[in-house]
Amino acid sequence: MQSTLWQKIYAWLDERLGLDNMYTGLLDRPEPLGNWWNTLGSASLFLFLLQGATGIFLTVYYTPSPDHAYDSIQYIMNDVAFGWLVRGIHHWGASFMVMVVFIHMLRVFITGSYKYPRELTWLIGVGLLLMTLGMGFTGYLLPWHQMAYWATTVATQIAGSVPFLGEFILKALRGGPDLSALTLQRFFAAHIWMLPAALAALIGAHLYLIIKHGESAYPDKED
Amino acid sequence: MNEESKKKINEKYERTLLKGERFWPDSIFKDVIMSFGIFLLLILLATFLGVHDSPKADPSDTSYVPRPEWYFLFLFKFLALYGQIPVLGKIEFIATIIIPGIAMGLLVLLPFLDKTPYRYYTKRIFPISIMSLLVVSMVTLTLMADIPTTAGEGIYIPGITQVIAGLIVPSAAFIILTLMNFVFKTTSTKVMIWTTVVSAVLMITFTGATLALAPVTEKTEAAVASTLEERIVAGQDLYSVHCVECHGEDGKVTTIEGVEGLEGKAVMAINGKDVLYTLNDATMAEVIAYGRPDAGMNPFGKAYNPEGLAKGEIDYIVTFMRYMWDDRFERPVIKPLFPALAAGEVPSYDVHIAPIVKRYCVSCHRPGKDSNAYLMDTYENITTSGDNAPSIKAGDANSPLLQVIQGTPIPDPDNPGQNLVGVMPPKSTLKADVIDAWMRWVMAGMPRTAEEAAALSTTPTP
Repeated sequence: MQSTLWQKIYAWLDERLGLDNMYTGLLDRPEPLGNWWNTLGSASLFLFLLQGATGIFLTVYYTPSPDHAYDSIQYIMNDVAFGWLVRGIHHWGASFMVMVVFIHMLRVFITGSYKYPRELTWLIGVGLLLMTLGMGFTGYLLPWHQMAYWATTVATQIAGSVPFLGEFILKALRGGPDLSALTLQRFFAAHIWMLPAALAALIGAHLYLIIKHGESAYPDKED
Repeated sequence: MNEESKKKINEKYERTLLKGERFWPDSIFKDVIMSFGIFLLLILLATFLGVHDSPKADPSDTSYVPRPEWYFLFLFKFLALYGQIPVLGKIEFIATIIIPGIAMGLLVLLPFLDKTPYRYYTKRIFPISIMSLLVVSMVTLTLMADIPTTAGEGIYIPGITQVIAGLIVPSAAFIILTLMNFVFKTTSTKVMIWTTVVSAVLMITFTGATLALAPVTEKTEAAVASTLEERIVAGQDLYSVHCVECHGEDGKVTTIEGVEGLEGKAVMAINGKDVLYTLNDATMAEVIAYGRPDAGMNPFGKAYNPEGLAKGEIDYIVTFMRYMWDDRFERPVIKPLFPALAAGEVPSYDVHIAPIVKRYCVSCHRPGKDSNAYLMDTYENITTSGDNAPSIKAGDANSPLLQVIQGTPIPDPDNPGQNLVGVMPPKSTLKADVIDAWMRWVMAGMPRTAEEAAALSTTPTP
């Protein structure tokens, strides 16, 4: 039989990449009957990717210094083509991500899906929730406006109330006794490098475990 | 969990898979619709609600009331309410570290604490009850976050209802549910469900009561000028109030006149190249904030001057100076101070007079300035205040204010040859259209709003 050019290309790639295996292993998997509550995990992943994409665009113009952070965001909002849209999506996407991740966690809790064999998936999920909150916390300071500045001042003070270690934690978060250029710089570093890297790694592990154990089924009276 | 129940769970799962669906295309189809829906919603929110802006961070403005992102508000409120507890409330780290730490710890360890194989809801009433109440607490605390926890002296009912809804009911419910589960192990499922439902209803009721009883708090967020034009106008308004007295309307004053304490002081003309070419924006902002004690410049930053300017406000003034006076900057088209008046049109306070007063009068006619106690900061003060009140009478073309702005001083009846009120403004004359607006406004009866003014306007007969 004469095969077309596309079939030849596909066969060549499949020999080297294992596309057929990927299809059966990743896509053509059997799953228990699900409903709309089961879409929240992938919605979280989608929001993470969306936050990543819009965030990368924002770093093109954003400057993490107390002198320029506020003005650079004013510039993004008023002068950059569709800058208002990219920032608007990033801003609202953050709220959505916290909400969607939280509701996803509630769904898993209510259906008891954290039990054998998915204990580790839950553990990593709690890590993902914390990281998401961390992203929200570090991202909130970046616009360097009054609300951000004073909310972060209070939040870092709260972290400083830990007995014995408080002083150290406070200084580590702020990069000194007060909020300064150093605070903004390290929040920026955490927001665009450290936390996203950790998030991506944990998401990878979370996804691997989901594929390994399959999606959990809704419990019935026997469970 | 023993091997046998593990095997049972796995076999049951294999059986469910047989009557299940495929990831591709069944699940993924729903996932894509969900994600796309969220994406659309985000675009709509970004387009129609946008991002709420706050003024630039100002470390010297310690009066600012901080407010975290909405998803941390419940923690914020919890801390505030916890601080109300006598004795225990003083040990801050219990609320900031220990309680959230325990909550996170329980969440992390959940699969290891709850090792039973039961997954069906009725077999897990205790954890589901606790989690439901936690979620209700988070929601109610978030709703109450904007209501002040205390109000100084006396009995403050919203404060009491808040503590009941946010602390007492949930803690009592957690304790009762825990006792039911671990101490009286025979408690029926029904009793636990009722306890949960009643607690949740109580929390919601008391939250509702708090919201209904609490005084409405005004939000006093300063307006944020975003476009260049808005920033220049904001700077001009601030300049008119704070700087005009010494530096003059156009910044060319070299010897200060008529200002108490700085009389005769020589200053640089701030509209010239000596200032604008040699100082960059940051330096100009610093001079305004910190002052130049040797050169007679007072500090205007909030940290040094009780009625001083915020960091963002100083930046607006610098922007205004750059675009108005620096010939290297191209001045954008700026809307006139007030919309031009057509024949027969009556100006209003809100649209016409307020911006004029802010630009030309308030610099001296405000509290704390020597201006015969004539304050021009509000409609009421303009019409009623002052040692020589009333300065304007509706329908009176000879009102003192109208005379002095047209270059006729008011003589002092007790001291012949002296003026009771000099011409206003003291060092410049108002433009004809400004005087015309004043005349029309007073003659038409000083309407406050645009609607009132429109009702008084007449269309000239052709």
